[in-house]
Amino acid sequence: MSAGSEAGPRAPGTGAGSPAGPDARSRRQLALMLAPYLAGLVGLVLLPALVTLALAFTHYDLVRPPAWAGFDNFTALVEDPIFRIALTNTVVFAVVAVPLRVLLALGLALLLHRRTPGAGTARAAALLPTAVPEIAYGLLWLWLLNPLYGPINQVLRVGGENGLTALGRTPPQWLTDPTDARAAIILVSLFTMGETFVVLLAARRALPRDVYEMAAIEDATGWDVFRRITLPLMAPVLALLALRDAIASLHFTFVSAFVVTDGGPPPYATTYLSLFVYQTGFEYLRYGYAAAATLVMMVLTLAAVLVQWRLVRRYRRFYPR
Amino acid sequence: MRGRNRGPSPLPERAARLWRSLGAAFVILVFVPPLLLLVSGSLTEPGLPPSPTPQLVPDPVSTAGYERALDLGGLLRASLNSVLVAVVAVPLSVLVASLAGFALARLAPRTTAVVVAASLVALMVPPTALLVPRFAIFRFLGLTDTLVPLIAPALLGTSPLYVLVYYLAFRALPADLYDACQVEDLSPVRTWWQVALPLVRPVTAGLTALTFILTWSNFLDPLIYVYDRDLFTLPLALRSLSLLDPTNFPVFLAGAVIATLPALGVFVLAQRRFLHDHSDPRE
Repeated sequence: MSAGSEAGPRAPGTGAGSPAGPDARSRRQLALMLAPYLAGLVGLVLLPALVTLALAFTHYDLVRPPAWAGFDNFTALVEDPIFRIALTNTVVFAVVAVPLRVLLALGLALLLHRRTPGAGTARAAALLPTAVPEIAYGLLWLWLLNPLYGPINQVLRVGGENGLTALGRTPPQWLTDPTDARAAIILVSLFTMGETFVVLLAARRALPRDVYEMAAIEDATGWDVFRRITLPLMAPVLALLALRDAIASLHFTFVSAFVVTDGGPPPYATTYLSLFVYQTGFEYLRYGYAAAATLVMMVLTLAAVLVQWRLVRRYRRFYPR
Repeated sequence: MRGRNRGPSPLPERAARLWRSLGAAFVILVFVPPLLLLVSGSLTEPGLPPSPTPQLVPDPVSTAGYERALDLGGLLRASLNSVLVAVVAVPLSVLVASLAGFALARLAPRTTAVVVAASLVALMVPPTALLVPRFAIFRFLGLTDTLVPLIAPALLGTSPLYVLVYYLAFRALPADLYDACQVEDLSPVRTWWQVALPLVRPVTAGLTALTFILTWSNFLDPLIYVYDRDLFTLPLALRSLSLLDPTNFPVFLAGAVIATLPALGVFVLAQRRFLHDHSDPRE
């Protein structure tokens, strides 16, 4: 992280491609140094992506060899109600949770980027949940969210009677009510925005100090400083992080949906695409069908990239540097 | 860019500092309790009827959850497997990432651009999207139900991001340095090992910590590739422990604490490097 931000300003033409240039023997050695990574890149990402493309057009159950299916899997997907629910859930989650996560990370970064008593500890605290293994974190929330004996509802019931809250309402049924369960998954995901937070912290620290000093001389209010200076300067980083988070959200819903809610409550309230792919492939052994769903996931990723790309370009037009 | 001299703060600035400290305290109050509850839940006596009121310190404090988690879940065996995977995968991953990052910083710009672009594309692909095809490939190679698929991501440097971080770090070293090494007739490998790598030690430390945390926490890969109980890693054993009796929370929370401690320990050691102000006067 620190290396990245330091590399930025002095980057072009410092290290790479020095005038003399390495000779043939050195180049061969450099190629060998790169080889393991290239093997990994091709073998673990690019080749599997191509295999997905091929498998999506087959029926494949691992026992018999794949059989050509044409567009069968895709027409089946369109008619599959569970897939449609999973797709909607995934998009809704991304639209609600990603802005919340990025805003939370931004708020924390702006609050904690300065040297004040307690800020260092608070920064570490905000990162802690991100360092906990996903499965341990999921199990923790499985207990915290238990409607009967989970600590969250115990706290909500303090002061109330007969299992109601102090306001006389039923506490949220996190694991059995569809809406509450979706809210629970979003809540769980909010605590793990640590990586976004670290990047925004670094980005905020890299902003030029004199601009803020000038604003202070002109008696700008805090809101003005945020709207006119901080936000425009950080917008490119924010857009990039939102994109990254939107793509990651296809993935990080998996463990919480798998462990905490098990895709339920019925009917499939928290079944996201990742869980759908896992269940279709590894529980029902319909690999071709799962590959077709995976392909839809990749198309969604691509769509997210394109939307963000356009947003950034439009932003550039409004605020030319 | 970094102001070194700041005068005594005026009064409104002081009030702002106070507010910021209060904010920091609030952040701590929100983010720390879930983890404290993890510990306190794991120390609850298993099998007792759940208390009607929230308790931060369980009554009675009991380590029975830990004993049962170790017995029932085979967590010792699983920890050994996790350690084995980490011991092989983490050094390999850092080695691959640093070698590749160095090569990218020294190769012709056109080659570098292609590989960097491919790495960015790879970063965009969500890991769940590669489950099915990766499984098909590993099955074709006869490597399922071994620990090999769990170590294989080391070839990617665990994440292409880490390769890019190394690339940026090596590229930021002064060009004169590389020229001098060339004049001295040092081969690229020796330049990497003797000159460049020692200069980016903080990067290596940070990335080693992150790689360890990711490898240690990996749940999805073992879930897909490993069926033999003797090969279960800690996250997978934890999952089967929780399926054994989902209502007996002290037992699976004890398992969760055991799985969390190493990752959290490494994180606490590493976080000082990238979170704290290096010029903090109180240090």
